Amino acid sequence: MAEENPDWQGWMAAAQAGDARAYARLLQDALPWLRRRARARWPGSGAADIEDMVQETLLALHQSRHLYDPARPVAPFLFGILKFRGADIRRRRRRHAGRETAIDDVSETSAALATSGTQDRDADAASMRAALSSLSERDKMVLEMLKLREVSLHDAATETGMSISALKVATFRAVQRLRKALIGDVTDAD
Amino acid sequence: MRTEELIASLTQDLTPVRRAAPPLALLLRWLAVTLPVLAMIVLAMGPRPDLAGVMAQPRFALAELLAGGTAVISAYAAFCAGRPDEPGWKLFLPVAASALWLLELGRQCFILSVQTHGGTLILHPDLMCVPVIALAGFVPAVAMVYLLRRSAMFRSAHACLCGALAAAAAAEAALPLFHAPDTMMTVLVWQMGSVMLFTLLGALGGRALLALRRRVPDPTAT
Repeated sequence: MAEENPDWQGWMAAAQAGDARAYARLLQDALPWLRRRARARWPGSGAADIEDMVQETLLALHQSRHLYDPARPVAPFLFGILKFRGADIRRRRRRHAGRETAIDDVSETSAALATSGTQDRDADAASMRAALSSLSERDKMVLEMLKLREVSLHDAATETGMSISALKVATFRAVQRLRKALIGDVTDAD
Repeated sequence: MRTEELIASLTQDLTPVRRAAPPLALLLRWLAVTLPVLAMIVLAMGPRPDLAGVMAQPRFALAELLAGGTAVISAYAAFCAGRPDEPGWKLFLPVAASALWLLELGRQCFILSVQTHGGTLILHPDLMCVPVIALAGFVPAVAMVYLLRRSAMFRSAHACLCGALAAAAAAEAALPLFHAPDTMMTVLVWQMGSVMLFTLLGALGGRALLALRRRVPDPTAT
């Protein structure tokens, strides 16, 4: 953990006190370090998986920043979270890998690939409806409130009784689940 | 969402957080609740008449020390388990403590069985110890879940298992102060069996409670 920037401890302590600038500097500065550590720990993982691990680590850090002890270095704290979240993601990938089937290549000239003018739009709307219906009520509520109605975080927090931090995390997770549902990975919910 | 966008979203409207107490401070708080409760239970049940005499026996004192040690070490491990920067070996301390405790009880059982020509190997049903351990361990277990609610963010299954073992071991340490078992075999089977049962049930219940709490919006969280 010798690569830790000596400023991290001060930035993390300031972030606990609500200093958003110090928190942003810490996260931006730790980002390449986290990616490097994730690649070193799971060399067989793809770039998308590494990025998922890093994002989940940042979310978990955000939710557990009250656990950090300012007298201790930040790197072991961050790396500990990365290990847990990275292992979770790899477990999830392995579980789903057994249920996935590769689709055989289809010739580009196949008539089956031809679409009419409205077919794409109809298919998109149908798949979006199907993906939305696969989400939980909470995910739907969060997406509808923050992405469709574009309610501010403060107003949404008042309306739902959730904290702003919890809303941010819930929105991020709902978008992730919607994206996965749209590409056919509807079961990838935690 | 790109990671840079996620960082921007997380840092926007950042509010201060109240730091969680370190594991040692949580352990002291847990002991501050557990010890008076157990003392009250012993007084309410009535200390056994020969308590002063058995306390002076090294065999009894060692078993009590190991039960208390297992409770304290397990509670400490429970408070460490939920923190990402605590090493994994601390989670195995309760395994070592409880193994030592069981070994000592087994050793005492063996010695007594030789001395009594197998008399201590007779197993009598001790139906009292199951509800008493559950009752005596209930408040320590509730205190444990309460103290773990903010700190068990990771490895929550380990935290609950260690926490339940701490509560069960604390109850088992109090039990011999007001209840005299018939034989060592009764202690090993009924009392230690109750500790294991309570640990498993407590771990499952504690995990469900912690999971339930995470689903409820926390007004103190930021």
